[in-house]
Amino acid sequence: MQNIIEVKNLTCIYSRKTPYEKKALDGINLGIEEGSFVALVGATGSGKSTFIQHLNGLIKVQDKKTMSVSVGGKSLSDKKNLRNIRFEVGMVFQYPEYQLFEDTVAKDIAFGPKNMKLPAEEIDKRVRKAMEVVGLDYDTFAERSPFDLSGGEKRRAAIAGVIAMQPKVLILDEPVAGLDPAGREEILLLIKKLQEEVSPTVILVSHNMDDVARLADRVIALKDGKVVADGSPKEIFADRELIKESGLEVPTATRIADRLRERGIDLSENIILMSELEKALAEKLEDRNV
Amino acid sequence: MSQIVLKGVSYSYSLGEGRSLKALKNLSFSIEKGEFVTLLGMNGSGKSTLAKLLNGLFIPSEGEILIDGLSTASEKNTFEIRKKVGMVFQNPDNQMVATIIEDDIAFGPENLGLKREEIVKRVDEALKSVGMEEFRERTTQKLSGGQKQRIAIAGVLAMRPDVIIFDESTSMLDPKGRDEIMDIARKLNSEGITIINITHSMEEAALSDRVIVLRKGRIAIDGNPKEVFSSELVDACGLVLPLVTASSKNLIKSGYDFGCAVTSEDEFVEGICKTLSK
Repeated sequence: MQNIIEVKNLTCIYSRKTPYEKKALDGINLGIEEGSFVALVGATGSGKSTFIQHLNGLIKVQDKKTMSVSVGGKSLSDKKNLRNIRFEVGMVFQYPEYQLFEDTVAKDIAFGPKNMKLPAEEIDKRVRKAMEVVGLDYDTFAERSPFDLSGGEKRRAAIAGVIAMQPKVLILDEPVAGLDPAGREEILLLIKKLQEEVSPTVILVSHNMDDVARLADRVIALKDGKVVADGSPKEIFADRELIKESGLEVPTATRIADRLRERGIDLSENIILMSELEKALAEKLEDRNV
Repeated sequence: MSQIVLKGVSYSYSLGEGRSLKALKNLSFSIEKGEFVTLLGMNGSGKSTLAKLLNGLFIPSEGEILIDGLSTASEKNTFEIRKKVGMVFQNPDNQMVATIIEDDIAFGPENLGLKREEIVKRVDEALKSVGMEEFRERTTQKLSGGQKQRIAIAGVLAMRPDVIIFDESTSMLDPKGRDEIMDIARKLNSEGITIINITHSMEEAALSDRVIVLRKGRIAIDGNPKEVFSSELVDACGLVLPLVTASSKNLIKSGYDFGCAVTSEDEFVEGICKTLSK
């Protein structure tokens, strides 16, 4: 598969030439394949937010000569590409429901497509489609005020506003923060569905390693603005040394498998899901009973 | 007498045009001094409304709440009740009032009209209690989320409260920040402060003495974590069991024996080791 995102030599320094100078990103080089589900992980302050804001030009590349960010082969340093790239890279920020502003749900979702200067019928079609995908019934919700919705509904309405632009890449910054467990589960399933139906490439910023293990096919870990780990969840979580150094945690299943191994129970090194742990343990008991 | 007593408490929000939304319906229960209580429930189940009722930010539409025997409905008790019941909110930035940390923490005691030496003493103690002594003269802006939340807790501690309510105080923090805050909550509890933790985290709930689950403004389940996690009402209340609890149920079908409802990783690991060594 082709890389949809290419990042070369990306460094970003905040408050340059002041006593508060801070290197938020430090020489990042990476490509993201079209169709991949990437989890971006790292402690608070590791540079995750700064990085994703470069991917749709909310933060500009500081030195065009030495660094570049491109989406679909188009450079973000070139001003004439910027507008289109913003439509191609959809960004769902933390607590996206704070960005709802219109007086009806349908108008709020239509805001993006309207800015794309699409014809009225196309806008209407996209609003309906976006509401359908996120599970908000058009007849029930279209004319309601977004501020009268429940927490989970508001978040889905806000996500609908982003996917109505039908972005090729969807970036979500901790999309389940603050939701109740049932709401979390709904949104996580929704993200998988969005990848299948709307945006083939997904970048998910998350602190929850159980979610990462379950959803992502690639994990990129940042620490102090550098990429410190990059690989499949199984590769990354199997490298305990690396996990420790990069200030990450392992998924619950991996942690428990480690504890069981310490107690003399022989288990495979690459357990990252509870279902895998359950399967391995069920087999252990069967083997013993044979 | 119990430290916190609710008698038939209901609360309605006015939606304008004569419409209203009943957020809490006829709640009656009590909380004893020194308990560590977790409040669980879906978004919209009434948890935060209940928190705001407990320190008199809201007054019950019906019924009565007594804190050490003082009714929250009586205005002359408000000051005393706010001293007794401190709140730590979700976003620490909303709770900061000064730019220098010691000034921020001194804000509460200053409002009590205390003497300068007493204020200094309380600020010292509060900072020490949350492990932030060396930050005393720094600004509040350059802190991590967990550190900011610790400062917010110190600000509450400086009021010497008997009860602290954490209203989703860990939900915006990363795992490290979350552990920091839960460690402090447990430590304060061991020193005798009653803790009420409002959360969506079942892992946090497993650490408490008692779990109250709200559903549509009523109490659906009230018991210790083991009772709550094995209740048939878990799904109906929108709760998702901790991974180890859910997983242990699957493993029981495969022949593992845990001897009790599993609420912690320790119990999970013990159950497996015991079964395999039989």
